Amino acid sequence: MDMLLAILIGLPMTILVTVLALLIGSVLALPLVAGLRSHNRFVWLLCRGLVDLLRGIPPVVWLFILYYGISVGVIRLTSLQAGVLGLGLVAAAYLAEIYRGALTAVHAGQWEASSALGLDRATIWARIIAPQAWRAAIPAYTTFAIGLLKDSSIASTIGVAEIVFMSNHYARQSGGSITVYFVAAAVYIVLSVPLGMLSRKIDIRMRKTVTR
Amino acid sequence: MTLQPVTVTKPVVEVRHLAKAYSDTVVLRDVCLSIPAGTVTAMIGPSGAGKSTLLRCLNLLEQPDSGEIVIDGHRLTAGERVNPKDLAALRRSAGMVFQHFNLFPHLTVLRNVSLPQERVLKKSRAEANAKSMELLTRMGLADKADQYPSRCSGGQQQRIAIARALALDPRVMLFDEPTSSLDPEVGVEVLEVMKELAAEGMTMIVVTHEMAFAANVADELVVMADGGIIESGPPRQILQDPQHERTRRFLRAVLDR
Ligand SMILES: Nc1ncnc2c1ncn2[C@@H]1O[C@H](COP(=O)(O)OP(=O)(O)OP(=O)(O)O)[C@@H](O)[C@H]1O
Ligand SMILES: [Mg+2]
Repeated sequence: MDMLLAILIGLPMTILVTVLALLIGSVLALPLVAGLRSHNRFVWLLCRGLVDLLRGIPPVVWLFILYYGISVGVIRLTSLQAGVLGLGLVAAAYLAEIYRGALTAVHAGQWEASSALGLDRATIWARIIAPQAWRAAIPAYTTFAIGLLKDSSIASTIGVAEIVFMSNHYARQSGGSITVYFVAAAVYIVLSVPLGMLSRKIDIRMRKTVTR
Repeated sequence: MTLQPVTVTKPVVEVRHLAKAYSDTVVLRDVCLSIPAGTVTAMIGPSGAGKSTLLRCLNLLEQPDSGEIVIDGHRLTAGERVNPKDLAALRRSAGMVFQHFNLFPHLTVLRNVSLPQERVLKKSRAEANAKSMELLTRMGLADKADQYPSRCSGGQQQRIAIARALALDPRVMLFDEPTSSLDPEVGVEVLEVMKELAAEGMTMIVVTHEMAFAANVADELVVMADGGIIESGPPRQILQDPQHERTRRFLRAVLDR
């Protein structure tokens, strides 16, 4: 029982890292996806390169770079800051691709009809395109979010006291028993399965009302 | 040769020497067109003739390469920069109905019709909804107001699309094959609504393969082929006695089906 309690001390940190990284990623993905759709070759190349760079290097390496690499300079990131920023940047790259796919799922006729009605660009984006793209993105977005919940555990490598970090700590103190990791696994399952069910439910409900 | 109508009305749509090409393929060449107020113009012609492109140029969904368009006094010259105000005014004057309806699937029928009024005409939600309900009732669709478009039949969806365009009080309605993706029986519902509109004096340009509509409802028939207008005049005259070999071939293909 105190094994579970020891792990649960790490739970708020797991959730905090996941939510903040997802937030940063969701917002930063917007300019990235704009760049990926840009007709300006330079802007496109820049964003394409950025996305590939962020995705091409393992997240744990990004965390090391941000945590140990930047500490020589003036700014020194705490382990939480480095963890959230690193996972957030990588998330931005993946989410940009998810957004891009969702935007192509919106029928070109939607642009034509809105333009023909005389709606301005801002209205077309906010009221017509974005809501439809968002619905198309939900399954991939939640799959990514659940993945991020589990991947937040790599923040333990730079000392963020989340679930895996606390499990390691407990295992060392209690003489190397691995039972604690089974309990940690159960905690992750309890977190992610309902999230998956919720996402599928939302998706099905939207499909029922909206798709043709 | 042609008799002038007793009351010479000012044209609502004027197209002068319009041309458009996609890189190497010329899609429109030197198209001239004049549509008097209150008339119905049917436009026919083989696939690839440039009918859709012409309609899409009229409200600048496509940019013409050269020529001039005047709609309800709003003049646009190809190649010159269009300021957003003129563009908005022009698009307000011309309502467009598409082959595939293009309703907003995430909005209810009522919101589909009301949102553009709120945004383009700056109406309040209540004013917009009142106008929407009036139009939907006229189309026999009042009971669909709170449904999503996906719950409506194709014919109903197209009538909703017509209501959405009419709600902005356009001077001219552009129809691009409004019944082509509908079963014939369902297409009739849409054609009925269009006939009513014509009877009320709406100026309409209708690209269509419905020869009965062209013959019975249209005042003017325009035949397009290979990016140009090859023939135009009273529908019955053209249908009975086409002057152009290309028209004859096309009519044979359509009527013999
Ligand atoms: N975006 C585009 N890029 C390149 N070519 C195009 C484009 N849009 C249309 N075209 C070409 O322009 C020509 C005219 O097309 P348009 O759609 O205006 O014909 P249409 O008369 O409406 O034919 P249909 O009866 O099949 O609808 C076609 O040859 C078509 O391939
Ligand atoms: Mg066409």
